[in-house]
Amino acid sequence: MRHVLRGVVLFLLLVIVVPAQASAATARDTEQPVVRVGTEGTYPPFSFHDPRTEQLTGYDIEVIKAIAKQAGWKLEFVETQWDAIFPALDAERIDVIANQVSLNDERQAKYGLSDTYTFSHGVIVRRKGDDSIKTLADLKGKTTAQSATSNWAQVARDAGAKVEAVEGFAQAAALLAQGRVDAIVNDNIAVLDYLASTGSDDVEIAGNAGKETSEQVLAFRKTDTARIDQANKAITALQDDGTLREISEKYFKADVSVPDGGKADLSEGRGARSTWEVLRSTAWPMFVGLLKVTIPLTLVSFAIGLVLALLVALARISSYRVLSGLARAFISIIRGTPLLLQLFIVFYGLPQIGLKFNPFTAAIIAFSLNVAGYAAEVVRSAILAVPKGQWEAASTIGLNYPLTLRRIILPQATRTAVPPLSNTLLSLLKDTSLGSVVLLTELFRESQLAAAESNEFLALYAFAGLYYWIICVGLAAAQKRLETRLDRYVAK
Amino acid sequence: MTDTTEQNTEPARIRVHGLEKSFGDQKVLRGIDFESQRGTSTVLLGPSGSGKTTVLRSLNVLETPERGVIGIDDVEVDFGQLPAGKAGRRESNRLRAQSGMVFQAHNLFPHRTVLENIIEGPVVAQKRPREEAVAEAKTLLDQVGLGDRGDAYPFQLSGGQQQRVGIARALALKPRVVLFDEPTSALDPELVGEVLAVIKDLAADDWTTVIVTHEIRFAEQVADQVLFLDGGVIVERGPSAQVIGDPREERTRRFLKRILDPG
Repeated sequence: MRHVLRGVVLFLLLVIVVPAQASAATARDTEQPVVRVGTEGTYPPFSFHDPRTEQLTGYDIEVIKAIAKQAGWKLEFVETQWDAIFPALDAERIDVIANQVSLNDERQAKYGLSDTYTFSHGVIVRRKGDDSIKTLADLKGKTTAQSATSNWAQVARDAGAKVEAVEGFAQAAALLAQGRVDAIVNDNIAVLDYLASTGSDDVEIAGNAGKETSEQVLAFRKTDTARIDQANKAITALQDDGTLREISEKYFKADVSVPDGGKADLSEGRGARSTWEVLRSTAWPMFVGLLKVTIPLTLVSFAIGLVLALLVALARISSYRVLSGLARAFISIIRGTPLLLQLFIVFYGLPQIGLKFNPFTAAIIAFSLNVAGYAAEVVRSAILAVPKGQWEAASTIGLNYPLTLRRIILPQATRTAVPPLSNTLLSLLKDTSLGSVVLLTELFRESQLAAAESNEFLALYAFAGLYYWIICVGLAAAQKRLETRLDRYVAK
Repeated sequence: MTDTTEQNTEPARIRVHGLEKSFGDQKVLRGIDFESQRGTSTVLLGPSGSGKTTVLRSLNVLETPERGVIGIDDVEVDFGQLPAGKAGRRESNRLRAQSGMVFQAHNLFPHRTVLENIIEGPVVAQKRPREEAVAEAKTLLDQVGLGDRGDAYPFQLSGGQQQRVGIARALALKPRVVLFDEPTSALDPELVGEVLAVIKDLAADDWTTVIVTHEIRFAEQVADQVLFLDGGVIVERGPSAQVIGDPREERTRRFLKRILDPG
């Protein structure tokens, strides 16, 4: 068991660390400065995955690529949900946001914003035929679904609406269609795209959200003045040579890069596909997410977590007051706080005191510590369940504490610990889906991306569930075999 | 101490002096003194709670007395002066290494075969060559009548066989003294005999043993010296013929009557 675990950990570390370093090395070798672009990847037609090629594309993506070409940047895209985008910029995990960032005073004060590259206006979306909602004033006391930290959420709040936080526009639209919220405030282009690509009959545009035009910009860190200059020069050049107009017309049949470039027309949509086609094209990316992120993340976190759990359990049992007190506190904190919060502290919190980890490492740290907190109690009770006479017999034949533990106690404790630890492992496998909020493109995130583009929530999430379930069935079978093996010295 | 006329020039194999031990408020040993000569069997008798098992466990430092001196062969520990921490543990371990222990509940390692149980101490703790330890273990298994069961797991053996393996495991350490803590109390009556026979052989074989038991007839046969304990002190001591055959103390008589004639 121990040897197998050790082998697995070493193997996975090799698989993960070596290519990561290799790719880091190649990135350093190139001359061009790398600029990391934060974007949702789930906000069509601005930032989404083309269902045919799986490639990230959209208006904002093409614009930032054109800017990079002008400015001589090499781009690296980081996809994350909207509410994590500004924290990612603050934590220096990304350098610029290209995701229809609306200009407002608050952002102006805190971030380094580029010149405007999109002019649009907000609209209010309601359920079809809901005449109680026509203008912003009608939103007072109603509930809207928005990305919590978006400009549109602020518009809705200012109008007196209650805001339900969601992870993207597709989710908001689904909530509205299902009657769980009363309205959405969002960019008219995003709404037109949704209506055209889904052919939805459930929702409609009620009217403009205020009279003012909204301006969209790129957001940098305030201190990043050199890049802001480069970006502004590039935007001016692209406006002058007509590139921006070209990109805009390709997506909207109108020029949104100037204040009055005509009415956007998205009636052609992006081509709706059948549920079957969506599933077929998503099955592979989801499988890759499972194989490359979900499973390695689970196994490595579990292995490290078990080692930590053993140490914590021994500290907890120890007669040194300080040691057992620390262990008790650790277990209490881990079990007393949400896993999602622990993940956010490691990923977004620690960079503020100078401890920055890449998403995979951050997730490993958070999940390992979490496993350690829970498994420590399992390991502790399994150790205590070994009869006291075993300790005594070991000490009378001259074994010291580490030898007794390793050769006599732990092999017997393993038998008791396997069933509850298997539960921990199964929970962990499923909990890795939380990795989707710290920029990890694992199995669940792949299904989210596909759902945002296609609105096939039921089929895609059920399919993702199927993947998780199959792995769990496999793990449960492995548990059974291990238990049988460990039972060989017990009277039947 | 045996009452032989033979002159013992060497010091006693076991030397216990002034042993005191409490569990919480309860004083279980109130000054225990005795000696055992090399090659003799000392049997501790007494009602439950008398302290006899605590004396035995103190010899192996499974219990640490608060005061008193225990010497086995050339290792002597004064528990009143035992240094704290590592140094104290080292002294305790040296004393512990002088004796082998046979437990009431045998405490065999269930995840190890019979042979592995026996060689664990010699190979892992004493760092002796494995081949040598295996060869000796096989001899010991023959000696306790289990020469063919080396590859069995403990659960595959009867209680009497398990206890005989426990004895072989203790002997494999080549200890100066073998300690038995009620070695037959947990056994079915029909299995008691085979274990006692093995212990009798050892006693006859020049091993120095200390035995806590309730088997009075067995004690009578095997003991060179009987110590009767009650309330944490040795009430009566002497050769078995005297202490068991013709006890002088009222408490000893009452105890023996209760055990031998329970009706």
